[in-house]
Amino acid sequence: MRIILSTFKNSLIEAWTNRRSFWLQVSIMLANDLVWVLFWILFFERVSTVRGWDRSRVLLLFAILTTVAGISLGLLANARKIGQLSAGGELDAALALPVHPLAFLLVRRVDTGLLGDLFFGPILFVLAGEPTLERTAIFIFGSLCGAAVLVGFLVAIGALTLFIGGTGEQADLGFQTILILASYPVDIFGGATKLLLFTAVPAAFISGLPTRLVDDWQWTTAAALLTAALLFASLGVALFNLGLHRYSSGARWTRA
Amino acid sequence: MAAIEVTNLVKRFATKGRGRRSLVEAVSGITFSVEDGERLAYIGPNGAGKSTSIKMLTGILRPTEGHATVLGYIPWSERRKLVRHIGTLFGQRSQLWAQLTARQTFWLLARIYRLDDRDAARRIEELGELLEATTLFDVPVKSLSLGQRMRCELTASQLHSPRVLFLDEPTIGLDLVAKQRFREMIVRLNEERNTTVFLTSHDVSDIEYVARRVIVINHGRIIYDDDVSSMRRSLLRTKLLEVRFEEAPRALSIDSVEVLKHSGLGYKLVVHTNQRSIRSVLDELLDDYSVADISVLDPPLEEIITEIYEAPQR
Amino acid sequence: MTRTPYWAAFTDGIRRTMAAPAELAVRIGFFAVILVVFSSLWRAATQANGGMIQGYGYRELLWYVIAAEGCVIATKPRLIEEIGDDIGSGDIAIDMLRPVSVVGFRMAAEMGEAVVRLVCALSLGAVFGLVSVGAPPSLEGLLAALPAALLAVGCNLTMQYSFAAAAFWVEDAKSTWFLYQKLIFLLGGMLLPLELLPGWLAGIARLLPFWTTAYVPARLMSGHAEWHLLIVQLGWLIVLVAAALAAFRAGERRLVVTGG
Repeated sequence: MRIILSTFKNSLIEAWTNRRSFWLQVSIMLANDLVWVLFWILFFERVSTVRGWDRSRVLLLFAILTTVAGISLGLLANARKIGQLSAGGELDAALALPVHPLAFLLVRRVDTGLLGDLFFGPILFVLAGEPTLERTAIFIFGSLCGAAVLVGFLVAIGALTLFIGGTGEQADLGFQTILILASYPVDIFGGATKLLLFTAVPAAFISGLPTRLVDDWQWTTAAALLTAALLFASLGVALFNLGLHRYSSGARWTRA
Repeated sequence: MAAIEVTNLVKRFATKGRGRRSLVEAVSGITFSVEDGERLAYIGPNGAGKSTSIKMLTGILRPTEGHATVLGYIPWSERRKLVRHIGTLFGQRSQLWAQLTARQTFWLLARIYRLDDRDAARRIEELGELLEATTLFDVPVKSLSLGQRMRCELTASQLHSPRVLFLDEPTIGLDLVAKQRFREMIVRLNEERNTTVFLTSHDVSDIEYVARRVIVINHGRIIYDDDVSSMRRSLLRTKLLEVRFEEAPRALSIDSVEVLKHSGLGYKLVVHTNQRSIRSVLDELLDDYSVADISVLDPPLEEIITEIYEAPQR
Repeated sequence: MTRTPYWAAFTDGIRRTMAAPAELAVRIGFFAVILVVFSSLWRAATQANGGMIQGYGYRELLWYVIAAEGCVIATKPRLIEEIGDDIGSGDIAIDMLRPVSVVGFRMAAEMGEAVVRLVCALSLGAVFGLVSVGAPPSLEGLLAALPAALLAVGCNLTMQYSFAAAAFWVEDAKSTWFLYQKLIFLLGGMLLPLELLPGWLAGIARLLPFWTTAYVPARLMSGHAEWHLLIVQLGWLIVLVAAALAAFRAGERRLVVTGG
């Protein structure tokens, strides 16, 4: 919708206004990412492969993860703040406008630092991911699906604030957890944990599955990823709408 | 058809404090209607139910019981449609994007309300002139003073020429001069396009300078609903006289008159107009005393309202 | 010593942390996630490498992780940012009105908080470790690791204060917490035991103070009873405390001169 794009454009402009802060945040994020790359390089100096994952594969994983983070946390920076926004009353401001409140809130803010990931990810892919036309296309597809899963997941747990109250900080723990779990090759985990990563805490869909797809495209795997993307995105929207209904019944005490 | 029609609106909240659940009635059955172009002040102390009322009328909160329409729409079920035709200015909340200029927010709002580019530009200029704010539009919002920001907020809320403007405690935090200017602006907006103004406040001076009609709400119930001039007339039982004498009066004893205070030759007197007409008091004063100067004043509205709050519920 | 205001700040820190169990639970929950991740990583890694990596078997590595992570998680990751904010906002000026050392007081309070988190983390870690691989590889190492853990947290705190003091001079210094964290990760031995780094990098790491915060307690806990490491920690702790005090004194002087 044009409205959403205009709002998004404004958010980008807003992020760009403080030039100095922008570059500082981006550099810090890039330095952070480089340290992780360094970690993996050092790790694989001592261990050549781990359960089918070698250095190039893990770097590919990291490239996808940072791209997903760039989209979900950089561009749609409010995705992980849905809980806090609801608790803080910013929801009312969105409700006063003729837009869908969730769509508006999601594009309302851009995080400059995490935007840096959006550059780092693809660059890392180009440098270490053996980019062919085919692999690049899959990379983009995988990242977009992963981002949909992550955004859906974050919105869903943020929307819980509309039901159970609180300040929305519980959502932060969920966000940190899923990000950590998605940073490591999914096959290192044992059965129970692995199952978790394919269901309630969909870290596997954020980075693991897209990585597998780039190296080895299977239509079934792709379908699974796409399904997960649609599923979690819908879950997020549904929970938010339900939560909104609850919010407007004033189930949480507000002062007259 | 009235711009706003409210019938028996009730809102109960369930509070969950320490395991016990109890029901609190924030709004206990309010009924009123507002015509197009009216300027209404919705006054009440903190906790009276003002914010709850306005949230129901703007579609943010669903009532427990009762019915209301704004411009023919049911706010809580037709919010998205209604919102195109109303403007909101909620005191603590800003519509403007802090890091950008006001104009940049205006352009975004123009997109959101689907305004034609040319119409939007024209409207911005119009409002800028009307509210004397044109020079403020191209400065980052965060560097504006609160009073300046409020004028930009007013512009933002009027961009799409809404038929009703809802303001919730808009003058909080403004200094006296800024408050006065703000009130002036609201009156101008109302007169420009006959925009209905619905203003909640606990500042009684907002009635004095903005409203033609007043609804007083306390403990979730409407305890007064009339226009401001009637309010003055019907509830006025006293008038103030400020008198300066030419020579100090030996003893000031006039029927139905009390001396409030005096310093030197200046006296402040209270006349109980329900006991005696102001005319006869003035006659006596001028006949029996040497008066240099005299003025007749209404008691402050503050007093009137307090009386209303404390009056036994009908 | 127990009558000094520093001790009071310390015990106050303990009390405050124990009075906010939800926050503590979140932090420890986080620690649990990290344990799960790293135990899986090292199990898979040692399996793929014939059971040993640079002299560490899986059992050694798990206890290494428990100690390293436990010590680091005891301190708030954004402490530098918090201190930076207080300096920037001038809140620190209020602290300066008290007749005690600003830094000393705050560090004592933070230490109290950190001790509670450390105990909780290490307890959870101990259970996890015992259930997964059994007891730590060396009793002597364990004995040495406990004081090392306390020293590690102390070094971490004082180092963060020294870093944060830069906020007296540079406005964006508070953003450096991110970088500090990464230095601990890599050069502190938190992510990888220093033995796994290339020789030259490990050498640099051993010259810097970061390894006192994670590597030392972890090395001891993983069965290497190298007692001299404790002396290194102690030495660094003294240096770091002095550095923090000096940095803050200079910063306070600057505040007074420039008016914050």
